[in-house]
Amino acid sequence: MYSLLNRINTRLHLFMTVPAALLYGIFFIYPLIQGIGISMTDSNGVTEPNFIGLQNFIEFFNDDRAKGALMNTIYFAVGSAPLLNIFGLAYALFLDQNIRGRTFIRTIVYMPAVISPLIMGYIWYFIMQPQRGFLYHVLESMHLGFLNGNWLADSSTALNVIIMVNVWQFVGMTMIIYLAGLQGIPGELYEASKIDGAGYLARLRYVTIPMLYPAIKINVVTNIIGSLAVFEIIMAMTEGGPGYATESMSIFIMRMMYGSFTGYSTAVALIMFVVIVIPVFIFLRATKSKEMEM
Amino acid sequence: MKKVSILAIKYIVYGVMVAISIVPFYILFYLSVNSPSRSYFESMNLLPDWQFYNYMEAWKQSNIGLSIFNSIVITVGALVLLVLLASAAGYSIARFPNVFNRTVFIVLLLCMMIPAIIVTVPLYTLMKDIGGINSRWAMTLLQTSTMLPFAVFLYTSFIKSIPKEIEESAIIDGCTHFTAFWRVTFHFLKPVNSSVVILAGMRIWNNYDQAIFFLQDSSVRTIPLAVSAFFQKYGADWNLMAAASMIGLLPAVLLFLFFQKSFVKGITTGAIKG
Amino acid sequence: MTRFMMYMTFISLLFFGIVGCSEGNSTNSTSDNDSEGGEDVENQEDVSLKLFTGKVETVDLMDELIADFESANPNIQVEQEYANDASNVMKVKFASGDVPDITTVITQDYMDQDRYIDLSDESYWDRILPSIKELNTDIKTGNTFSVATNVTMAGIFYNKEIFAELGLEEAQTWDEFVSNLETIKEEKPDVTPLFLPGKEVWSLGHLVEFMAHGEIKQELGISDSRKAFIENEKEKLGFSDPEGPMAIFAERLMELQDKGLINEDALTASYDNQKDAFVTGNAAMISQGMWVMGELLDIDPEVAGRIGFSPYPPLKEGSKPVVLSAEDSKYAITSASEHPEEAKKFLEFLMKDENVKKYSEAIKSPPSFTDVDADWGPIKDETNAVLESAVNIQFTDWPSGFSGDDNGRMVQELLAGKYDGSDLTEFAQEYAETWNKAWESTQ
Repeated sequence: MYSLLNRINTRLHLFMTVPAALLYGIFFIYPLIQGIGISMTDSNGVTEPNFIGLQNFIEFFNDDRAKGALMNTIYFAVGSAPLLNIFGLAYALFLDQNIRGRTFIRTIVYMPAVISPLIMGYIWYFIMQPQRGFLYHVLESMHLGFLNGNWLADSSTALNVIIMVNVWQFVGMTMIIYLAGLQGIPGELYEASKIDGAGYLARLRYVTIPMLYPAIKINVVTNIIGSLAVFEIIMAMTEGGPGYATESMSIFIMRMMYGSFTGYSTAVALIMFVVIVIPVFIFLRATKSKEMEM
Repeated sequence: MKKVSILAIKYIVYGVMVAISIVPFYILFYLSVNSPSRSYFESMNLLPDWQFYNYMEAWKQSNIGLSIFNSIVITVGALVLLVLLASAAGYSIARFPNVFNRTVFIVLLLCMMIPAIIVTVPLYTLMKDIGGINSRWAMTLLQTSTMLPFAVFLYTSFIKSIPKEIEESAIIDGCTHFTAFWRVTFHFLKPVNSSVVILAGMRIWNNYDQAIFFLQDSSVRTIPLAVSAFFQKYGADWNLMAAASMIGLLPAVLLFLFFQKSFVKGITTGAIKG
Repeated sequence: MTRFMMYMTFISLLFFGIVGCSEGNSTNSTSDNDSEGGEDVENQEDVSLKLFTGKVETVDLMDELIADFESANPNIQVEQEYANDASNVMKVKFASGDVPDITTVITQDYMDQDRYIDLSDESYWDRILPSIKELNTDIKTGNTFSVATNVTMAGIFYNKEIFAELGLEEAQTWDEFVSNLETIKEEKPDVTPLFLPGKEVWSLGHLVEFMAHGEIKQELGISDSRKAFIENEKEKLGFSDPEGPMAIFAERLMELQDKGLINEDALTASYDNQKDAFVTGNAAMISQGMWVMGELLDIDPEVAGRIGFSPYPPLKEGSKPVVLSAEDSKYAITSASEHPEEAKKFLEFLMKDENVKKYSEAIKSPPSFTDVDADWGPIKDETNAVLESAVNIQFTDWPSGFSGDDNGRMVQELLAGKYDGSDLTEFAQEYAETWNKAWESTQ
C-alpha cells in the first residue's frame, strides 16, 4: 500500500495537467461537442433542426456578406497584430529601464486595456465625431482643420480607425508579456556582450530579441487569435457599419446566431476556426526552428 | 552633455506615451462630471461642469458597491485557481511532454481559436443543470476555464525557457518533481504569474458576454453589467455611465499597481544563476 | 452551489493536500457528478415566480411594484431578472429549458411554438383600448398571448417656433414635406432641416418601419398588413416591386440627401446629437417616438413649449400621413410556467389602475387603459389630435432573422452611397431577398 502511494506520489508531476484538463473539459469541451453538431443542421434556435449535411459550409461561399466579414477580419488582423507587437516591444524596452516614474508611466500605458472595450469604443466615438468631437476642436484650434473628416462614416477609412484604436488600447497587454520576458534575461548576458563592445542595437539584436522568443511567440499567437476574433471594439465604434462595411466574422456569427440562422452561424464559426488555425500553426512551425537554433 | 540630451529625449518619448494614453481617460472623466446636456464638445472648452453629484447618483442608481464586491469575488477567485491550475499544467507540459500532456496542450491551443459562441446553448444547459445560473461560484469556475488556454500557453512557453537545473537541487534534497515545482520553480515564475494575473484579471473583470447570460439577478451583477444598465433601449445616460465606469476602474488599476511590481529587473537573474 | 464547492474542494485538495516535501495522500475519489442538480425546492404554500425583462430602465420601478405585490401576497415571491440583450438571452433560455414564468420578450416564433399561454379571458381587457388588444392578438391562432400596459407613438417632432416664423404648415403630402424642408434650408442656413441620427441603426430602421412599411400598413389596414408580414405574402408586400414601397422609399431618402436637407453627418450622428440639435434649435425636424419626450425635457424643460408633433408624410401620391400608435410594455406568461395562476395574479396586479398610472408617469408613456388618467407628458393633447387625423399604424412583425436593426444597416448602406449610380430598384431587390431568406429560415 505504501509503495503504491509512493509510486503515485513520485509520478504526480506527470498528471499536473489533470485538474486543468478536467475543468476545461467540463466547461468547454463537453458543451463544444454538443455544439458542433448544430453546424450540420438548419437549426434556427426555435423549431426542431433537420440534418442538412455540409450545406451550411457551402452556403458560406455564396454569401457575399459573410465573405465581406471575412475580408474585414483578415484586414483588421493583418493591420493590428504587427503594430501591436512592434509598439508593445518598443514600449516594454523603454519601460524596462531604470528610470524615475517608471511605475507611473507603465500604469498609464496599461490603463486603456483595463477599460472595457465597449466603453472605450464610445469614448473614441466622442473623440472622433465630426464637428462635435474632441479631435475636431483640437485640430481646428491648431489651424489643422483641413485634416478633419468623418472617418467612421467612410467605409474606406473606418476600419483603419478601428485598427488604430485597437492598437492603442491593447498595446499595454503586449507590453506586459514582453516585460515579463525581459525579466528572464540574465544580466550576465548583457555584461558579457558589453565587454565584447557591443552597442545597444547589437545587444538588442543578439541578446534581447533571441532571449525574448517565448514572449514573442505568445504575443504573436495571442494577437493573431485576438485580432481575428475582434468583436467588442467594432461593436462599440461602428456596430459593423456603415451598413456592413466593418462587420467582422465574430459580429456576423453573433448576428446569425441570434437571428434565426443558428446552424449556419455554427458552421461559419468552424470556418473561422480554420482561418485562425492556419496562420497560427504556420507561425509556430516557423519559430520552432528558430528556437532550435538557440 | 550627451547624457543629458539622451535623457531629455527619453522623457519626451515618455511624455508622448503618457499623453496618448491619457486623453481618453480625460474624456471619460469629462463626461463623468458634466451635466446631462453636455455629452459632446461644442468648442475647445475642455473644462467640465464639475458635477461630482453624478458619482453619487451613479453609485446609488447602479448599486455599484455590490457590483464591485461581486466582481472582486469572481476575479480574485478565478485568478487564484487559474494561477494554480495553469502553472501546474504548464510545468507538466513543459517538462514532461508525454502523450497525455502533449494532447492536453494541443487541445487547449486549438480550443483557444474556436469562437466561444458555439457553446452558448449547451453551456447554458450545463450551467442550469449544475445550478450555476446566478451563482458567483459557477461564474468563477467558468472564468477560470475560459482563461485556461491562454494561461497554460503562457506558462508552458516561459517554463521551457527556465533551466531545469533549478529544480534539480531540490530533487536531490528528497523532493519529488511535483513538490519541487511548488517549492522552487513556482517562485521563478513571479513575472509570469503577474502577467497572468494582470492580463487574465483584466479580461475577467471586464467580462460581459458570459456575465450577461449567467448573472441575471441584481444581487450577483458585476461591474460591466452595472455599467451597461445605463444603456437603454433608446440612448444612454452617458454621464452616469462614465461615472460608474470611473468607479469600476479603480480596483482594476490598484490590482495592476500591486502586481506590476514584479516587473523589476533582477529578480530572476541572480536566482537562476544561484 | 454546493456542487461547485465540491469541484473546488476536489481541485484544491489535489494541490494543497500534497504540497509538502514529505509524502502526501492523494485521495483519488473522482466522483463523476452526472446526476441532475437544481431540484426545485417546492413548498405547497410558497410560490416563487421569475420575471425576465429586457427593459433595464424600469428595473427599479418594477422592484417597487414587486415589493407592493409581495406584501399583498405574502405566499408569492417574484424574482426579477434582466439583461440588456434580452432577446438573445431569452432565446438561449428557451433552448436550454431555463424558462421564466413571465417575460417581456415576445416574438412570433415562440407564439408559433406555443411557448406562451392565452390571456384572452383575463378581466382587464375590457379596460384596454380595443386597438391595443388587437395588436396583442396572434394573427395565426386568434389567441392573445400578451398584454400591454402602455401605448407608444412615433412621428415627426418639429420646432414650432421655426414653423411659425417661416409660416410653415404640417405636411400632408411628400411634396409639401420637401418644400417645408427646402424653405428651412433657404431661410435658415444654420439649421438642419431634418436631422437623422444614423449611428443608431434602430432610428434608420424606424424610417423603413414607419414610412416604407407605413404605405403597406395603410393600404391593407392593421390586421391584413400584419397577416401579410407574418405570412410573407409577397404580392401584397411588394418589396421588390420597382414601384413598391422600398423602391420609393430609397428614392425619397436619396432625394433628401441630394438636396442637402438632412445633416451631413447623418451616418455617424448619435441619438444624443439629435436630441441636442433639436433642443438647441439647430434642427427643425426629427423622426422619433414618444420615448424621446422625457429626455428632451431633461436637457431643457423650456423646450416643452416649442415641440410640435406631426405624422409621417406619405411617400406615395394619394396616400395619407401615418403615425405609429402601438403597444408598449408587453408581458406574457410562458406555458412552461409551473404557476400560471400566480403569474396571472401578478399581471392583474400590474394592470391595477394605480399601478398603471404610476408606471406610465414614471416612464412618461401614455397608458393603454381607457380608465387610467396619467399625466405622462406636455404634448398629450396634440398627440391625441394627430392620432385622430392620421392613419394609425403598428410596429412591423419582422421575421426573426431580419430585425429592425438590419433594416437600419441597409439604410446606412444606402446613405453611404452603395447604390449610387445604380438603379434604386436594386436596393428594393436586395431588401426583398434578405427579408425572404430570413422569413424562410424559421418556417
